[in-house]
Amino acid sequence: MQTPDEIIHQPVRLKIMAALNTLETGQWLEFVALRSIVQATDGNLGAHLATLETAGYVLLKKDFAARKPRTRACLSRAGREAFNRYVIALQAILMPQNVDAEAWESKRDSHE
Amino acid sequence: MQPTAEEAAQALRDIARVKHRAAGFQDYRAESGQLILWGLAYVAGFALTACFRDHILPIWIIVILAAMTMGIRLARRSGAGSAVAWRYIGVIGTIILFSLALNLVFWPLTPEQGAMLAPMLLAALYILRGIQLRPRYTLIGLMLGTLCMFGYLFLLPVFWAWMALACGGTLILSGLWLRGR
Repeated sequence: MQTPDEIIHQPVRLKIMAALNTLETGQWLEFVALRSIVQATDGNLGAHLATLETAGYVLLKKDFAARKPRTRACLSRAGREAFNRYVIALQAILMPQNVDAEAWESKRDSHE
Repeated sequence: MQPTAEEAAQALRDIARVKHRAAGFQDYRAESGQLILWGLAYVAGFALTACFRDHILPIWIIVILAAMTMGIRLARRSGAGSAVAWRYIGVIGTIILFSLALNLVFWPLTPEQGAMLAPMLLAALYILRGIQLRPRYTLIGLMLGTLCMFGYLFLLPVFWAWMALACGGTLILSGLWLRGR
């Protein structure tokens, strides 16, 4: 069974990826909007976005809008694929045979 | 390390929650621009009607065509596809046809009665949309309907000026409210 991507699995990064995955290709989401959706602080969001950018999952664009600095983000193609793989991996964990195996293993561990 | 089934389920729930929140955010954002635009159009339309009562029809044709053109451009800029123009024309066309049909059924209508049709339909549509999708739309619809009705029942002498504020003003303020979400 495929192991879910460790980079995406962190809760804040997971929310970032999920939010950006709702955008259509070529659409960008402003930092302020992303912060409101993810419900994270500026520093926390910035740090996790940097991690995702380094991993090649997120693209960041910095420019000016009405003379104010603006940061926008979107998923790269690799990011979109990684997110889809991540969701598939999670769903696979929840497949009945895998849940049964996990329950059996935990029962066995408790007996040992 | 492989997540447990509980962690996997929690992660999928988080994804669904964020997806719902992001969809709501984008929906409110896109709607806010349209509300402000049509609010301005109503302010202009009712203010001009108050000044030139003999030219109601040409005033509203110009106002609706201008607002439609800008609305389509705004919708395209907010990321909607090229098919949005036809959907937009369809929505506005339906509201106009509904108003025309009621005019025919209840003819003759006073200009004030005729002016109530589109705002009341709009109010009803927002209430229904709010009940089905997002609660803020219900509040917008209720506010719009109540204020317009109040003006028609109690403020007929200043009806056009009141409608500019009640209908146009409510839509503009609602747009700003959704934007500041």
